[in-house]
Amino acid sequence: MARDDIHVGLEIGTTKVCAVVAECREDGEIRLLGVGETPSRGVRKGEIVDFENASNCVREALSDAEEKSDVEIKSVWLAVTGSHIHSFNNRGSAAIPEESGEITEEEIQEVEYKAKEISLPKENAILHSIIQHYYVDGQEGVLNPVGMLGSRLEADFHIIHGVTNRIQNSIRCVKECHIEVEDVVVSSLASAQVVLGQHQKESGALVIDIGGGVTDYIVYLDGAVRQSGVLAVGGDHITNDISIGLRIPITRAEKLKIEEGSADLGKSLPGEKIVLKNDTGFSGKEVEREMLNMIIHARLEELFGLLRKRFAGEVPERLLGSGVMLTGGCSMIRGIRGIAESVFDMPVHLTRAQAVSGPTSAFENPQFSTCIGLAKYAQAVRSEMPEPSFLGNIFGKVFKKFRSS
Amino acid sequence: MISFPKYLDRSQTPVVRLVGLGNAGVNLADRITMAGVPGLETVAINSDQQSLSSSVSPVKVSLGPLTTRGLGAGGDPEIGLDAAKESLSEIEEALAGSDILFLCAGLGGGTASGAGGMVAEAAKQTGALLIAIVTTPFGFEGRRRTSQAAAAVQEIGAHADAVIHFENDRMAELAAPKSGVAETFAACDELLCGCISAVAHLISARGPLGVGLPDLLSVLNAGNGGCLFGTGASAGDNRAHEALERALKSPLLDRGRLLDEAASVLVHLSGPPSLSFAEVGAIMQEIARQASEGSMLHLGVSTSQDKNAPVVVTILAKAGAAAPAAAPAVRPRPSPAVERPPKPRPVPVEPEPERSVSPDPSPSHEAAEAPEPEPLPEPAPVRQVPPPRPAAQQPPPKPHPATKPASPKIKQETLQFEPVARGRFEKIEPTIVEGEDLDVPTFLRLNVKKP
Repeated sequence: MARDDIHVGLEIGTTKVCAVVAECREDGEIRLLGVGETPSRGVRKGEIVDFENASNCVREALSDAEEKSDVEIKSVWLAVTGSHIHSFNNRGSAAIPEESGEITEEEIQEVEYKAKEISLPKENAILHSIIQHYYVDGQEGVLNPVGMLGSRLEADFHIIHGVTNRIQNSIRCVKECHIEVEDVVVSSLASAQVVLGQHQKESGALVIDIGGGVTDYIVYLDGAVRQSGVLAVGGDHITNDISIGLRIPITRAEKLKIEEGSADLGKSLPGEKIVLKNDTGFSGKEVEREMLNMIIHARLEELFGLLRKRFAGEVPERLLGSGVMLTGGCSMIRGIRGIAESVFDMPVHLTRAQAVSGPTSAFENPQFSTCIGLAKYAQAVRSEMPEPSFLGNIFGKVFKKFRSS
Repeated sequence: MISFPKYLDRSQTPVVRLVGLGNAGVNLADRITMAGVPGLETVAINSDQQSLSSSVSPVKVSLGPLTTRGLGAGGDPEIGLDAAKESLSEIEEALAGSDILFLCAGLGGGTASGAGGMVAEAAKQTGALLIAIVTTPFGFEGRRRTSQAAAAVQEIGAHADAVIHFENDRMAELAAPKSGVAETFAACDELLCGCISAVAHLISARGPLGVGLPDLLSVLNAGNGGCLFGTGASAGDNRAHEALERALKSPLLDRGRLLDEAASVLVHLSGPPSLSFAEVGAIMQEIARQASEGSMLHLGVSTSQDKNAPVVVTILAKAGAAAPAAAPAVRPRPSPAVERPPKPRPVPVEPEPERSVSPDPSPSHEAAEAPEPEPLPEPAPVRQVPPPRPAAQQPPPKPHPATKPASPKIKQETLQFEPVARGRFEKIEPTIVEGEDLDVPTFLRLNVKKP
C-alpha cells in the first residue's frame, strides 16, 4: 500500500497530547499502526496557554508515535477545539444559467461561496462549511444536484468558525517540531467520523465528546451535520470540583475521580467513607463516598442540561433515532450513562472508535476517538469518495491560508 | 439554713404558669391554651382591652385602665410602663403562688417593651422560677422597634432566670417565602409553642438520665445571643434519625450548623419504653458531631409508658459567647397569700411539635401591633417621645453570622467556602454560559444539598 495512505492524527488535548498513525485501506477500514501519547502541559480548556511546554509535548508524542509505528511522520492532521469555536447554519443560493439549465460543479461552488458570505467577527475565520441539503427550485432534500435541471439552486450549509489566531497557535506549535499540518479539523467532527456509522448519521445522532478541558458536541440529522459546538467544561472541572469540595490536592482529586468516582447517587452505603492513603505531600484523609458522587453528579447533570438546552430550539429530539453517543475520556466515569439518559430522555451509548483494527488498547479507549477520527477524516477527504453528501465539500479553502502561514 | 426553693421540690406537681404580655404574648398564650399543653395555666396581660376580651386565657389582667383607657400603649414603652405601674397589684395577684413562670412577650412595641421589666420583677418576687420567652421584631419593622426590643430584653433579663430569645427574622424562615402572612406567623407561633411545652416537659419529666432546672439554666445562661431551639418527633422505623433530622431542620439551628457556636447544648430525648440505648447513642453522636468540641452536652432521657409514643428530640442551646455568670440569684420570698383554687395538675406529657394548630387569623407578632389605635390625648400621663435608648444598652452585635441566609445550606461542614472558588481555573479565561461561571463548582453554584 502506498505511503500516501498513512495518515497521522494529532490532538493537543488538555490532559494528553496524542498522535495516531493509521493506515487507511480503500475499503474504509483503518488499521492503527501506532499511538504515541504524552501527558499534556501548557494546555487549558483545549487551548494552548504555554507555548513552549505544549510544543515539547507535541514533540514527545510524535516521536513516541514514530517509535511505535515505525513510520516517519512528516505531516499531521490537527484537531482543534476551544470555546472560541462556534457554528451556525446558513443558506446560499445561485441562479442557474438559463441556456443550459443544468447544475454543474460551478453552481455548487457558487452556492457554497454565497453561503459563506456572512458577517463574522474580524478575527474569526471559517473552519468548515459542511453541506446539509440542496434545494433545486424549492425541491427539498436533494443530495447531489449535479446533472439535474433547474433554474435556481439553494443549499444549507453548516458553518464552523473560530478565532484565527488561536487556531494558528496550535498550528505553530506543531510547526515548531518541523512537522507540516495537512489541515485542521474541529474535534467534534473528527470524533463523529469513527463514533458514528453511516446509518447512524442518517437516523440522527448526537455525539458528545467529553474530554479533559472541553466538551465537543455534534448533531447529525439525515446524514448531515445539523449543529456542533464546544462547551469549555470537561473532566478538569470535575477534578477541580472534587478538589474544592473535599479539600484535597488536585492530583489526589484526579486519582480519586478515576479510581472511586461515580455519578450514581444513592448507591453507596450511608456514611460510607473512602480512605485516602497518605502520599507525598498529602497527609491522608477520609472522604464521604456519597459526597464525592454528589459533586460529580451535580457537574455532569449541569453539563448535560446545558447541552440539552442548546439543542432544544434547533433539533427535535424525536428525530435523533440513534440517540446519544458519549465518548472522550470523561465518558469512562461510572454512572455517566444514567445521568445522560435521564437528562436527554434518549438512549445513550458509550462508544469509541468503530471499524478500526490494530492495538485493541488504543481503539477501545474512548480517549482516542478524536485522534483516530482524524485519520478517518483524512482518508475521507483524500479519497473524496465515500461520503459525498457532505464530506466532498467539507474542505474549506480557508485552510490554505493556515497552511501557508 | 440551707434554703430550698420550692420549685426544686419535686414531691408535688409544680404550678406552671404562662404569662402572655402584650398583643403577641396574649396571642401566643391563646394558642397554647387552645393547643392544650397540660399543666399549664395561662395569664393574659395587656393594655389593649380589645385583645384581652377576645383572649381565651382564664386569667386576664388589664394594664392601666386609667392610663391607656384600655386602648393599648400605641407602641410607646413609656405608656406601657405607666400602665404596668398602675396595675402592679393586679399583676402580682395574678402571678402569686406560681412555681414556674413563663413570660411570653413580643418585644418592640409599647406594652411588652415598657411593662416587661416590671412584670418580670413582679413575677420574680413571687419566688417562682422565671423563664422569659421573647421575640424581637422583624428587621423591616425599623430600627426604633429593634432598639426598644433590645432595651426590653436587657430589662427582662435582669430579673428572669433565663431568657429564651427568638429572632423573628430567623423564625420567618420556617415558612416558605411565598406562604401567607398568617401561615408564617402560625409557623413561628407553633415553634414557640413547641419550645414552651418542651421546656415545661423537660423540667417535669423524670427518666433514667434526667435534665433538670440547673442544666436548663446553665445552658440558657451560657450565651448572649438568640436561642437555638429545635424539636422533632418521629415514630417510624428510622425514628431516631428522623426525629433528629426534624429537630435539626429548625431554622433556629440552621441544620445544626449553629450548634457549633453554642458553649453548651441541652438535649432531651423522650420516647416509648422501646427506645434503645443504641438509638440514644446514635442521636447523641450526631449532635456531638455538630456541636463544637469544647461544648458541654446536657443529656436527658425519659421514657413514657405509652408504647406508641414517638421519639422526641429536643435541642436547646444559646448562641454567642458565654456571658458572664449573670444568673440572678433566686430570691425565694414567701408567696403572698392569694387563694388559688386547688385543682389537679396533670403531669405534662410529651411535647408534640407536630401538633396542628389551627392557623390563627390574627398575626400574633409585633407586626400586628402596628395598627393599634393611638391612645386618645388626655391630661393624665404627660406624653413624651422617649429618648432613643443609649446605644450601650443594646446587646452586642449578633455574634453568629448565619442570621441572614434564608436558603437552606448544605449540611456537611466540608462544603463551606469563600463565595467564589475557581480553583485551578483561577487565572484563565472563564467559561461563562448563560451568565454562570461554569468554572465554579456546580454544587456550590446550585447549592446542592447533600442527598
